[in-house]
Amino acid sequence: MNILETEALGRRYGGTWALRDCSLAIPEGHLVALVGPNGAGKTTLLNILVGLTGATTGNVSVLGGIPVGSPAALDAIAFVAQDMPLYRHLTVADTLHLTRNLNHDFDGAYARARLRDLGIAEKHRAGKLSGGQQAQLALTLALARHPRLLVLDEPTAPLDPLARHDFMATVMAAMAEDGLSVILSSHGLAELERVADYLVLIAHGVVRLDAPVDDLVARHRVVTGPVGEQNDPRWQVVESTAAGAQQHLLVRLQGPNDHVPDGWESRAAGVEELALAYLRESSVPTPLVPVEASR
Amino acid sequence: MITSTLASAPPSLRRPPAWHRLLWVAWRRYRTTLLGAAALLAVEAVYLVDRGDHMRSAYAAAEACQPRSAANCRFAFENFHDTYANVGFIGALLVWTPALIGVFAGAPLLARELETGTFRFAWTQGVGRLRWLVAHLVPGVLGVAVLCGAFGVLVSWYDHPLNASGIQPRLNSSEFPLTGMAVVGWGLAAYALGVVAGLVVRRVVPALAAGLAVWTGLAFLTAEVLRAHYASPRTTTSQQLAGRDLPIDQWWAHGGVRVSDAQINQALQAIGVQSLDGGGNFRTGPGSASVDPIQYLIAHGYSQWTSYQPASRFWPFQWIEFGWLACLSLLLLAVTFLWVRRRAA
Repeated sequence: MNILETEALGRRYGGTWALRDCSLAIPEGHLVALVGPNGAGKTTLLNILVGLTGATTGNVSVLGGIPVGSPAALDAIAFVAQDMPLYRHLTVADTLHLTRNLNHDFDGAYARARLRDLGIAEKHRAGKLSGGQQAQLALTLALARHPRLLVLDEPTAPLDPLARHDFMATVMAAMAEDGLSVILSSHGLAELERVADYLVLIAHGVVRLDAPVDDLVARHRVVTGPVGEQNDPRWQVVESTAAGAQQHLLVRLQGPNDHVPDGWESRAAGVEELALAYLRESSVPTPLVPVEASR
Repeated sequence: MITSTLASAPPSLRRPPAWHRLLWVAWRRYRTTLLGAAALLAVEAVYLVDRGDHMRSAYAAAEACQPRSAANCRFAFENFHDTYANVGFIGALLVWTPALIGVFAGAPLLARELETGTFRFAWTQGVGRLRWLVAHLVPGVLGVAVLCGAFGVLVSWYDHPLNASGIQPRLNSSEFPLTGMAVVGWGLAAYALGVVAGLVVRRVVPALAAGLAVWTGLAFLTAEVLRAHYASPRTTTSQQLAGRDLPIDQWWAHGGVRVSDAQINQALQAIGVQSLDGGGNFRTGPGSASVDPIQYLIAHGYSQWTSYQPASRFWPFQWIEFGWLACLSLLLLAVTFLWVRRRAA
């Protein structure tokens, strides 16, 4: 089952396309990192996915064919928006009660236990909590709904490194316990490299890359050789940088063959390195990396 | 290759949360406004009940005075008039009460969500944004209607001696929109204007200001222009209107044709009197004869006409005013509903 499927999806604000010709098919069970620079269209895609914004063109469905924004979709998707909007004047206890009353199922016992573990007192007002605590509260409210899909828009941006780590640990634990899928957007990949197992790259409203991280890593190498040397014709160069007499190429391999010619060295590409190369790539992206086998 | 291991019920079979749960959400949102409205009404009630009590005693005393034409009785009645015809500093507060209740309930509803970004939280919960909206609008409408209705009863009670003594017709614009059904309509209009202002302006304080401003403009326009056209005024040549009827206009006619103030002044020059307003008010110039100008004009073939709304039209007018205000409010709330359904971010 695909957790998210879009076909030629587009959204225009005034004369500007925030998202263009976006076609995705993301399978269930992944932690999907939606990565791109600020203004790339990540928030637009997520807003469409959770039913806050309508699409201008194209089709979109979630959780195996449910229309976005439908009662079934709303019920099964929990969304933590950018900057964690909470009712600042409500106490934590009232916030829990409010969320319970806005949902069919809400696991109050789970939520209270989690908040107790985190040391967040229920009598405090949400607006008085620290940034990290607000993020944890917002996440707790989302997880206590036991969603099938958790959507997080730049959740770690306002957090310090420790709070960021705790936040991601909570998400990972919930994935392990509930088997939910997660789509998480970020403008940086550094903190997601270790946890995300599916990568969607988006820049200027266009999807550049959409594949499981393992496939990406298996299909790309960084090769180093002398400047001016003929490239292997099986390499598709994504990015090249020259350093003195050496050139570093990030290449996409046509097959699993990892053979390099004499005088060349080859090493695995890191996820962040790979993502940056694709974001920099200025040409129109070729259709996705060949990962048909894993679909 | 990926199989679903999720054992939850088919999503389509799960029902949204019950309405009574949403009622708590609405209560939690409105309770501060409700408290404020209750405090405002309590202050007004204390003032009006206290003053109303005194007014009733004074009115009973003036009524009991016999014979009516005696100087001391006329003085008592004039004293009553001077003391109670004007409600004083609280008058402005009374006029604005339905607006304050309605706008303060309506404007923050969407403005606060949009201003603080919490709509992204509220409208992505399982309940869905349309149920969320209905669960806020229906209690809002009912609450505003009840509060304004109660306020209207208070004002009618207070104004009763003034109506009975003929000092203030019930159709007078300082009483009519604050009583009966009209006050409910004005409260609902304030609520709906507030909600729409919040939607358009997207910030709480400017939305409050915009809602109050538009409401005030509408109320002013209605009092000055619209209300007199609910039904054509009656006309009479009688010199004395019943105190409960609402005079609209007065003019002089000659041979069935309306004559201008200039013509009247010309006619009155013979006795040295100037007409001030085309009606019954005159200024006697120096050396004017001791002739009653009205009797003089009537004797010379002029007739004085008065247009007025009879007191019997009070309730029909109340329902007309409530009717169009309720329609306007429903229209505005329907626009809000469609907007929220169509788009959000």
